[in-house]
Amino acid sequence: MLPETYINEVEKRLRRTGRPREMVIDVMLEVQQFYGWFSDEALEQTAGLLQMHPLELEELATFYNYIYRQPVGKYVIHVCDSVICQMTAGYESFVEHMQEKLGIQMGQTTHDGLFSLLPVCCLGYCDLAPALMINQTVYGELTAEKFDQIIEDLRREK
Amino acid sequence: MPDLIIDNKKIQVAKGTRVIDAAQSAGIYIPRFCYFAELGAVGACRVCAVKFIDGPVEGIEMSCMVEAEDGMVVSTDDAEAVDFRRHVIEWMMMNHPHDCPVCDEGGHCLLQDLTVAGGHGIRRFSGKKRTYADQYLGPLISHEENRCIQCYRCSRFYQEYCGYKDLGVMGIAQRIYFGRYKDGVLENPFSGNLIDICPTGVYTDKPSRYTGRKWDFEQSSGVCTTCSLGCSIRVSARYRQVVRLEAGYSQAVNGAFICDRGRYGFSWVNSEKRPRQGRVDKKTMAPQKAAAAAAGRINDLEKQYGPGAIAVAGSGRSSLEALAAWHHLCQIRSWRGFFFDDLAAGPGAAAAVSGLSRENAVSMKAVESADMILAVGADPLREAPMLALAMRQAWRAGAGVFAIDPRDLEWPFAFRQVSAAADEIPGLVSGMATGNGFFENDSRHGRNMAAIRDQLAQSRSPVIVCGTAAGGQATVSAAAGLVQWLRKSKKDARLFGILPMANTFGGILLNGKPGTPEELIKGMESGQIKALVAAQSDLWKTCQDPDRLDRALRRLEFLCAADCVATELVSRADIVIPVFSVFEAGGIYINQEARAQWSQPAHAGGTPVRITGAGGHPPRVIGAAIPGGGLPPAWLAAWQIAGLAPPDSHEAMMDWMTKAYPVTAPVKTMGSEGVRIFPSQ
Repeated sequence: MLPETYINEVEKRLRRTGRPREMVIDVMLEVQQFYGWFSDEALEQTAGLLQMHPLELEELATFYNYIYRQPVGKYVIHVCDSVICQMTAGYESFVEHMQEKLGIQMGQTTHDGLFSLLPVCCLGYCDLAPALMINQTVYGELTAEKFDQIIEDLRREK
Repeated sequence: MPDLIIDNKKIQVAKGTRVIDAAQSAGIYIPRFCYFAELGAVGACRVCAVKFIDGPVEGIEMSCMVEAEDGMVVSTDDAEAVDFRRHVIEWMMMNHPHDCPVCDEGGHCLLQDLTVAGGHGIRRFSGKKRTYADQYLGPLISHEENRCIQCYRCSRFYQEYCGYKDLGVMGIAQRIYFGRYKDGVLENPFSGNLIDICPTGVYTDKPSRYTGRKWDFEQSSGVCTTCSLGCSIRVSARYRQVVRLEAGYSQAVNGAFICDRGRYGFSWVNSEKRPRQGRVDKKTMAPQKAAAAAAGRINDLEKQYGPGAIAVAGSGRSSLEALAAWHHLCQIRSWRGFFFDDLAAGPGAAAAVSGLSRENAVSMKAVESADMILAVGADPLREAPMLALAMRQAWRAGAGVFAIDPRDLEWPFAFRQVSAAADEIPGLVSGMATGNGFFENDSRHGRNMAAIRDQLAQSRSPVIVCGTAAGGQATVSAAAGLVQWLRKSKKDARLFGILPMANTFGGILLNGKPGTPEELIKGMESGQIKALVAAQSDLWKTCQDPDRLDRALRRLEFLCAADCVATELVSRADIVIPVFSVFEAGGIYINQEARAQWSQPAHAGGTPVRITGAGGHPPRVIGAAIPGGGLPPAWLAAWQIAGLAPPDSHEAMMDWMTKAYPVTAPVKTMGSEGVRIFPSQ
């Protein structure tokens, strides 16, 4: 269940907004932050808050890349698979390396629940190709070594 | 009026016409999947591509996205355009399963037709096809998402056209999915149209599964008799039963859609319980013999008690032919009269019929262009569902919608309601016409009524929708008066009445003052009426007090029922004469707009093979007669029960009817859109 204080706060914001529907993505991301992913429970509660049909939220949730309708790890690694990144030398072996390093395939989550590996269509960092994004932070000009370092740092942080 | 050339044909169309429609008006059919006139154009499927050779647009363009303009030269069969369309179809077939032989859409599938027409016969794509889990959408519609070609017709119809939110489009790119959030029965009372508009087999009709292919069916154009709107339907029949109803197209009435109640409300036709044999005092016999026995009993009672002891009860379920026969027979035999059930369900029906004229009548399709709608004592979604859809289209185009009604109304669009009691409605409605300013003193309704009056003052073409059930005669008269007053104030105001049954209008047109069920029951209670003929009568269903009716019926000496439905009166009758229904005999029905329409018979009648065969092969009886067939149409049974010689064919019946009731004369020459017949004022 969402905390009472959050519900009150959102309802206050909704009242202030002329068109509550325009806030739908913001609220979805906040609710996802609370649950770690956008579960059925999260979706139905958000629908109730915004007085929208659950299907309308499902339409949005399944359209956007950063709303997760399945459980994900603490760190979601969005690997760009757009054309520019794919054109960089060694892209395929780099993707292979990431999967080996984490011991999972694209679309999976590590057993310790720390990392998920998801493809994403263009992060807009073509100048830094190959690029990936982890929880709002973009990493570019990647190599296998650089990737290993990022993972080790995150593992230490937990 | 743009002039253009399509495939060397000179065409002139109205401004704003899309090239795809311009071509169709000249008999040139351009392929399409996503384009559907009622839903508008989105340019999603790319299969209506044509080549613009000369004029303001040049090159390959989508004909649904380009409006016709002067000087355009268009080719639909240019090699480049043909090749383009062939590729579009090929990529659509990449993911589409090759399951046509076992698909319920096979045989009436637009995708199948265009794939063949487009020349895509050999598959080149060797990759895997994407697949989906299907959903349970209720008992009426099957879902098979693998067949989807992403035309968006379903989600546009469901959400934009109808205003319901529980079906839509999810996902993106190769994951795109049309369906619901979770399995469940569709909430939209027009959802059956998904079956008709889906260009392939994603949505198919569940009740008619495994009953046959399109070419197995006897098909006919009918008129829906479920409510008073008279929507066009396409009827499919096989093995002596009605299998499926689909929306027929009518420019004046329903456009391209029908409601689910009309689409699925026909199970009574095929019912095991339906009377199929004549019955005289529990003995079965041929319908004609049963009718002759009834004629004998009626004659005896007439000799004993006089003709005033004989009464006929009928309903707007009957065709115009049957109603005319009964009106006439009651008159020439000097019987007590014809009593019309519909006046119990719609006490205001007679006023709604007499208040209608050529000037103030409005077709349902034209309601969509009203700029203001006021519904008084009416709940279209329950009483005439397709009207609610027409009102929604007017609302989408900017019309304000208002209601004066005591009930909790829920319509699929925004409207403002004055929750007045039924007996307050006539005063409130006529108060607007007199404009005596009493709203200001009305603390409960004042503000909303003032808003309605202001909106009416601003409108140019308002429509007043009026129910005949809730408010009764006073409400209908007040609504008709308001329309008259608005028309005097130079507004193109129109009256749209909702009647209780498919042919209530016909029953009242033939005789402005038919007897009411109340008068009938009183006549039976007092013992003046000794014999009752229930001719397709719904007296039992429409009566508010069944105990009272039960006592009244027990006082009768003779009850005869002629019907195609197993009603309570049929099970109580001393003599039963089974008659053909509209699906076997056809018939003329006059809708609430005064539009008479001919409903074709769908098949020759008879007991469904499903029943005679009881699951196996039907009995091998050699002979020309159809088992359970040869029932009289209701109008023929009327004459037989009266013991008189009937007209000897339907044609002769029509000649007789148009002479005996000159007001019905236009039906002899009516076209596919029917003809409007107003009561002579």
